[in-house]
Amino acid sequence: MIIRAENITKTHRLGEHTVNALKGVSCEVPHGDFLFIVGPSGSGKSSLLYVMGALDEPTSGDIYIGEQRMAALTKKQRDEYRRLQVGFVFQSFNLLRNLNAIDNVLVPFFPQGVSPQLRKDATTLLERMGLGDRLLHRPNQLSGGEQQRVALVRAILKRPAVILADEPTGELDSQSGAEVFRILRELSSEIGSTVVVVTHDTRYIEAGDRILKMQDGQIIGEQTA
Amino acid sequence: MWKMGVQNLFSRPARSLLSILGLTVAIMGMVGLFSVARGIDALMSNTFKRVPGLIVLQTGAPVPLFSRLPEQWEPELKAMPELAVVNAELWQRANVVEGKMVVSPPRFLFGTDIATRKQLKHCVYQTAMIEGRFLIESDRNQPNVVVSRAIAKDYKKAIGDTLRINGDVLTIVGMYDTGLMLLDVAIIMDISTARTLTRFGEGSVSAYYLETQEGLDSETVAVTIEEHFRGREVPAIGSESLLTLNCGNGKSLLGNLLGSILNGTPKPTTNDTTIRENSEKSTALGETSDRAALSDTVDENMPVEVRSPEDWVERFEKINADLELILGVLTAIGVTVAVLSIVNTMLMSVTERVIEFGILKANGWTNGNVLRLILSESATIGVFGGIFGSSFGWGATVFINWKWSERIHLYASPGLLVFSVVFSIVMGTLGGLYPAWWATRMMPVDAIRRG
Repeated sequence: MIIRAENITKTHRLGEHTVNALKGVSCEVPHGDFLFIVGPSGSGKSSLLYVMGALDEPTSGDIYIGEQRMAALTKKQRDEYRRLQVGFVFQSFNLLRNLNAIDNVLVPFFPQGVSPQLRKDATTLLERMGLGDRLLHRPNQLSGGEQQRVALVRAILKRPAVILADEPTGELDSQSGAEVFRILRELSSEIGSTVVVVTHDTRYIEAGDRILKMQDGQIIGEQTA
Repeated sequence: MWKMGVQNLFSRPARSLLSILGLTVAIMGMVGLFSVARGIDALMSNTFKRVPGLIVLQTGAPVPLFSRLPEQWEPELKAMPELAVVNAELWQRANVVEGKMVVSPPRFLFGTDIATRKQLKHCVYQTAMIEGRFLIESDRNQPNVVVSRAIAKDYKKAIGDTLRINGDVLTIVGMYDTGLMLLDVAIIMDISTARTLTRFGEGSVSAYYLETQEGLDSETVAVTIEEHFRGREVPAIGSESLLTLNCGNGKSLLGNLLGSILNGTPKPTTNDTTIRENSEKSTALGETSDRAALSDTVDENMPVEVRSPEDWVERFEKINADLELILGVLTAIGVTVAVLSIVNTMLMSVTERVIEFGILKANGWTNGNVLRLILSESATIGVFGGIFGSSFGWGATVFINWKWSERIHLYASPGLLVFSVVFSIVMGTLGGLYPAWWATRMMPVDAIRRG
């Protein structure tokens, strides 16, 4: 799936101040690409990621998912897009504290009901991530690396067309961070997902295919890894 | 999703339990309050099922206690072909029993004509005898009485013991137990004995209890009797019998009160000068507007009214409707407080979990899904509040009925209990609506960032 951003702007209001997080950003992420978006804090990289994932709406400009203009999607279709096409990974893992590891992985499917096959797939993936003995543990019983692996499985289980990761190694040590990228690369290749990773940590960018550099809400450069 | 809701709820056990407790108390109160009204309904229905005959009263008299009818009308009633049995009754309140003033539960001296009493096909007291014997012909003019088990228990009496009522000494010859609060208040004796003891006016009775011939419609018979006496005047009766109930101005306070409650007032007897004069005085003072309004429904030419069990039940249903309105208001206050507590609990919970909703939305949950999750949590509070409230409420009614069986009868019907649970769930769900709406109106990213 190709994700295309055309002249995206995003303006936030912070009290009396207006912050222009994105200032006319245009870019394209081809199918199967593993893209890093790097830049300092406040450069607008997370804002771009959220707009791509339909977690937020741009102030102006258009996002296209393939040929489909996202602004033309109904709310329900955007929900469907997030549910079926996009897998999110966040910096602070964002697991639900009341659910155990397996339920955290399956939570996107709760409204529709979890089939035994899906539960089996989730278990298999978690075991593959080395979490076979952690299935029934709650987030507060897991290490940071383990939590992020659970979050990765949650993002990947639905075999999404796009995986969007926001600072996925931000709260991990370098070893765990490297492990996360190794897994992300491996699983996304297996299922043919497009991956967009936002980070200000350049230690792992060699794992990607392309790198977009952002600063002050604009893309200031692009390079191939 | 429900399981997840319950898990969320019990991840904050103290707060959730307090909310459940709040709703439990409100629902328990609701069950308790409405069981009063249901209790009256059930009591009336059960009581009048046991007393299936017609009763002839002075027009407007709420109960036989406030009715006076001439004794010489008895032969006329007996001569009516529609009637199988005519039993004269005399009712008076027992004010002092065993040297103690009787306040609650009340006790009544019930004089009955023994001969005709025995002819009744459905005589509630005779069929409810548990010890000793019912009155027989030889008890005529004798100070022999039959009392309820409750009365005997109250005064620690057994068969053969004496009972002092209003200063007179009576002998207990039998004991009955109908199990009905309204019926187990009678101290039954021969009508002549009762007349002597109570100094009830010579030549008058309180009421006539009638059994119709088989197969006749009681409503039709009632109309026939009323028409038979249309235009007649209730002759003068001794006013001494009213002394115990009347205050200085000749008005029966309790009678007026009951009359007002029952939407009917004893019509002053035509020749009862004292009552009439006082009534006129009251009118002059403008005190009788309510009485006048009530008497609008009374046919002035009809000295008697004949009531069937259905009439009694209907009258009490009217009182119950007013009572239920009051109980409804009280319940609404309690439930409102409980629902506000749920709103508060859910709002706090939702505010704390904004990030959770952002995550769920990022993972494809729709606003509807999030709404259902939050409502499932508040509904769970409602379920528990309803079950606990209904159970405790039911338990309380059972306890109260057992502890004060003679004073109060509460009835928490299965319908009331089921309604309470459903009502509680609805209230719980409603309590979660605003917090749920609040949680769903944010963009997922705002929720995540806010968290």
